[in-house]
Amino acid sequence: MQLTPEDILAIWLSLKIALTATAFALPFGFVTAWLIVFKTFRGKIVLEVLINLPLTLPPVVIGYFLLLLLGKNGWLGQLLNESGFPIIFTWKAAVIASVTVGFPLLVRSIRLGMESIDLQLIEASRTLGASWPDSLLTIILPLSLRGIIAGSSLMFARSLGEFGATIIVAGNIPGKTQTIPLAIYDYASSPSSGKMALTLCMISVIISVAVLLLHEVLGKQLDRRSFL
Amino acid sequence: MTQAMKKIVLLCFTLLMMAKTAMAGELNLSVAASLKEVINELTASYTAKHPGTVFLKNFGPSGTLAGQIENGGPADIIISANTEWVDYLNNKKLVDASSIKTFTYNSLVFVGKTSKKVSSLKDLTKLDKIAIGSPKSVPAGEYAIAAITKAGLASQLTNKLVMAKDVRESLMYAELGEVDGAFVYKTDALQAQKSKLLFTVPQELYPRVVYPMAITIKGAKNDDVKAFHVFLQSDEAKSVLSKYGFALK
Repeated sequence: MQLTPEDILAIWLSLKIALTATAFALPFGFVTAWLIVFKTFRGKIVLEVLINLPLTLPPVVIGYFLLLLLGKNGWLGQLLNESGFPIIFTWKAAVIASVTVGFPLLVRSIRLGMESIDLQLIEASRTLGASWPDSLLTIILPLSLRGIIAGSSLMFARSLGEFGATIIVAGNIPGKTQTIPLAIYDYASSPSSGKMALTLCMISVIISVAVLLLHEVLGKQLDRRSFL
Repeated sequence: MTQAMKKIVLLCFTLLMMAKTAMAGELNLSVAASLKEVINELTASYTAKHPGTVFLKNFGPSGTLAGQIENGGPADIIISANTEWVDYLNNKKLVDASSIKTFTYNSLVFVGKTSKKVSSLKDLTKLDKIAIGSPKSVPAGEYAIAAITKAGLASQLTNKLVMAKDVRESLMYAELGEVDGAFVYKTDALQAQKSKLLFTVPQELYPRVVYPMAITIKGAKNDDVKAFHVFLQSDEAKSVLSKYGFALK
């Protein structure tokens, strides 16, 4: 197995992007899931559809929308450019692409976790005098931990694999925005570097297996704790 | 096996047989993405004259096409955007060496819609962002890097380069104004709506852009394939090529 310095940067960048995207999306994902599970409000169905849209849209479409929105002529892009915070063709664009694509998976898993909470527990906490932020943090948060872990690992894994949206908003710049899938695409496009492509594929598999194992271990530990 | 299952198996089998017979007049073409419009027009005109022939066209980056053929992908003729991949297939004895011919030529230009005055490679140092095809997988990007390096501008331009997945994506970035300009083929520049051709890259700075074509070993047994290979070298093919901006010499 041989890795060029650019490959190592791609691996490092992939991990950084996936981790940042997951950490950034987590609080928003938690609040969104909570809104959907425990609150009734007008336009809830619109919110649900909007959140799940990236799951069904081709990633290329998302990438193109993001490029138009965050680009020089997009309203958000203009704002960000003026404040000296350009997004397009930087690793931040890859984070945004990953957040958009992974967010529905995160919300779905947390939602499943929250839906399994016995409502009577929440009501009991409220009648015992807990304010809603209190019951959110001491009842809902710990009881939906399983969903949060599942959602985070799913989102992390999805971010690692993000290709379609990333290659449009972030480009394929080695050392700057080239993540593992983009590097593999580059290698796979020229048959003479098939070995390099395979090496990176193996690394992809190793990282994915590690994420899944971690998810299982954390889940098992949580089970054991709840039995005690 | 139940009666229903038997029927399903029989149906699948019949469909398979039908697919097999339909393949008789089918020609599989693997063609570099930059030739899409030309090949679509040529195959349409060929089918009009030879109604029995059906074309299955696979457009993509030349390296990917070569990789597909190496791994047994169905292709009768390959037209690549550089000699490298046809030579590669020839070395692996996957194409008929006697069928390797030059289909056409292209040249590298710089397009953009920047307000700055850009008329030569040297002026590129004034720009902030320049799109090129990713040099590892896109020949146009390889040529652009070759030209920049030979002009002695590599160190000044490296940080300005935005690598795109193919030539058309670089053109899209230029059209949207996300980059100040992009290295593309002359034929792509003719497709541009908003950006204009700023300068032609001097030919002495990069290897000639040659599009070689070849018949694969599998296609060499088929007379329809040979007939179309001849058609690709006809005057009609040449006039379509020049219509889209390709050079014949």
